[in-house]
Order: sequence, then structure tokens, then C-alpha cells
Amino acid sequence: MDWTVLLPHIPRLMDGLLITLWVTVLGTLASVAGALLLAGAAASPFGPVRGIVRVYTEIILGLPILVLLYLIYFVAPDLGLRLDEISAGVLTLTLYYSPYMAEAIRGAVGSIPPGQIDAARMVGMPGLSIARRIVAPQVLGLVIPPLTGLMIGLAKDTAILSVISVQEFAYRTKQVVSRTYAPFEVWTFVAVVYWMLLSAFETLMRGAEGRALRFRESR
Amino acid sequence: MFDTELFLESVPTLADAALVTIRLTVVSGALGLLAGALSAAAQLSGVTALRILSRIYVSLMRGTPLFVQLLVVSFGLPMLGVSADPFLAAALAIGLNSGAYVTEILRAGVLAVPAGQIEAAAAVGLSPVRIWTRILLPQAFAISLPALAAELTIVLKSTPLASVVAVTEMTYSGVLIQSRAFSAIEVFVPIAVGYILIAQAILRGARHLEGRLARARA
Repeated sequence: MDWTVLLPHIPRLMDGLLITLWVTVLGTLASVAGALLLAGAAASPFGPVRGIVRVYTEIILGLPILVLLYLIYFVAPDLGLRLDEISAGVLTLTLYYSPYMAEAIRGAVGSIPPGQIDAARMVGMPGLSIARRIVAPQVLGLVIPPLTGLMIGLAKDTAILSVISVQEFAYRTKQVVSRTYAPFEVWTFVAVVYWMLLSAFETLMRGAEGRALRFRESR
Repeated sequence: MFDTELFLESVPTLADAALVTIRLTVVSGALGLLAGALSAAAQLSGVTALRILSRIYVSLMRGTPLFVQLLVVSFGLPMLGVSADPFLAAALAIGLNSGAYVTEILRAGVLAVPAGQIEAAAAVGLSPVRIWTRILLPQAFAISLPALAAELTIVLKSTPLASVVAVTEMTYSGVLIQSRAFSAIEVFVPIAVGYILIAQAILRGARHLEGRLARARA
């Protein structure tokens, strides 16, 4: 086993890592936006809207992300939607993770006792203030742990985009493997990099959760 | 636009590949359950070294993409002198990955078993191994069944990644047809439907089993 073969290729790998970060950030922002939309639609007084959200969620729960990626990258162009690799990748991540994140948000909002909202209304708080001062601070703390898990899942799933030639970390790794003929060393190194970054992110989010739930300490 | 002939031609090939997908899901799921049960037991045992080992395992599996794990396993096995059959390498990687999530599910399940039962079992002289196999794991399994079923659907949804180590499961089989026929919709739409149906079968089966377990306990 020779680990030094890696050294000359580190810059190439780091370029890929930047793309991974970029796609992860775009995918996360778009998924959270999609999730808010879905969570809102799921609470709609309109039956058909709720039905569509439910069917969509069921479909995504059974559909592998790789198949979704192929549907968007290979099938959608036949139907008139032609996207470049990165857009197709981000769209796939968004369509796949929005319903999962929407469930996390719904769970957090649902765990707030309705009495609190009634009470706030009783003392004459306007709706927007109730959302901002009563609901949002509590939801934030509750939603951080499940969202963190999903964001880590999304970050890991960006590796799948290498199959449609998004030049991210795993794609660059494949290139380096074909130049060094040291697949085990290179893939192990890459695994350790993912692990360190994602563990650091998890620790960071645990800190954020603690901060968001600060108000509980006063009890 | 939809080539019916290509669709009909592909159906037998895709159906064969669907069987590979199901086999891979079952084998990986069983491995994951085994790894998860061992790792959950290690984490809940009083032994510090075992607990740390299990924590590292869970953290490594959750902190790296399955895609990368698959490649590490399939290139790593030959270095250990094990000839890597792609199917086995894929099942091992997917199973070990799932084991980390199963650890958390079973851990929560075990902790939900009332402590009084363990005390009672110890009081009548059951050995710790017996307490695990007869008292804790069966109940933890029943409590965790819905979460385990959801995890099995995630295993199902991970199996397309086995294509990176050249296992011809449903998705890869579709890619092969598509690269020959230059047409995607006829293969990927039935494949998507296939996965959704298998996932629904898993979830419904689990709900059925859950009902039977609840009746058996009542």
C-alpha cells in the first residue's frame, strides 16, 4: 500500500470537493424551500392539494435517487426539459429531499401545543407575531436534528451525481484512481475526508440546536 | 415517442433484474439487521471498549457516502485475500451501511423495554445472553418494526448503487438497455414503478406483521 501516490493529485481532488460543497449548498437551500412549500400545501384546506402532496411523498419514499436522476437526466429531455449536469443534479436532490424535509417540518410544527397559539390569539397577538415569536423559535430547535440528518444524507448523495459527469469529489476521485491505479488508497482517503467534514458539520449543528433551545434552560 | 416494442422487449430482462434487486435487498437487509443487533448490543453493554467501537462504526458509516463505501469494500476485499464477488461485495457494503441506522433503531427499541423486566429476568437467574436473546431483542424488534421496515425500503433504494461495482440489478440493467437502444422513457419509467411497488409491498407486509404481533401479544 503506497499512500504517497495521492500527493500530486490533491489539488484535483480539492477542486472536486468545492463542486461537492457548491452542489450541497444549492441542493439544501432548494430542498428547504421545496419542503416549506410542501409542508404548507399539506396543511391546505383544499383536499386535492393535500392529495397531490401525499401521492408525491409516497412516490419519493419508494423511488431510488439514482433512478430519479436518470429520469431527470435521460427521460426529461425527451419530454422537452433539457438540463445541464449540475442543474439536473440539483433538481434531483431537491425533488428527492423536499418531501423528507417537509415531513420533518410537519412533525416539529405538529408538536407545538395548539393551546399556545390560542392563548397568544386571546391576548391579541397578530398572526405574524404568533408565527415569529411563538411558533418559529420552538420549531427551529425541534427541526434542527432531523434536518441535520437529511442534510448529511443530501451531502452524501451528491456523490451519485458523478454518474452523470458532475465533476464533484467522487468524479475527480475516479479520475485520480485511473491515473494512480491505487483504488483502495484513494477511495479510503476520500472516505476519511467526507467523514471529517460531515462529522464536523454534525457537531456544529448540535451546537446550533443547543443555542436554538436556549430558552428552555430558564425553566 | 413511447416505443411500445422496445418496452415489451425489455420487460423480461427487467423482470429478471428485479429479482436480483429483491435478492440484494433481502441479503443486505439481513446483514444490516445482524450488524445492527450486534452493534446495538455492544453500545448498550457496560463494556467501554465495545461501546466506543460501535460508536466509531456508526459514525463512519453515517459520515461517508455509500457510493464511496461500496468502492472501498470492493477494492478492499481482494487486498484481504477475499475474492470479491460483486454481489457479495455490494451486499456487504449496503448491509454494513444499513447496520449503522439499524443500531440506532434497535437501541431506541431496547431502551423502550421496561427496566423492571430485565431486573425480573436477572432475579429468576437468566444469563445476560439469555436476557438479550429472549427478553430484549424480540420486544425491541416488535417495537422497532415500523422503523425497520422504513429502513428496509432505504436498503431497497440503495441497491441501484451496486451498479458501480457491476451488479446487474434493475437500474443497471435499464442503463444497459438504454445505452443500446438510445431511448430512456421505455426503461426508466417501468423501473421507477417497479421500485415503488416493491417498497409498497415491504411497507404493507410490515404493517400486516405488526398487526399479527400486536394480536399475539394481546
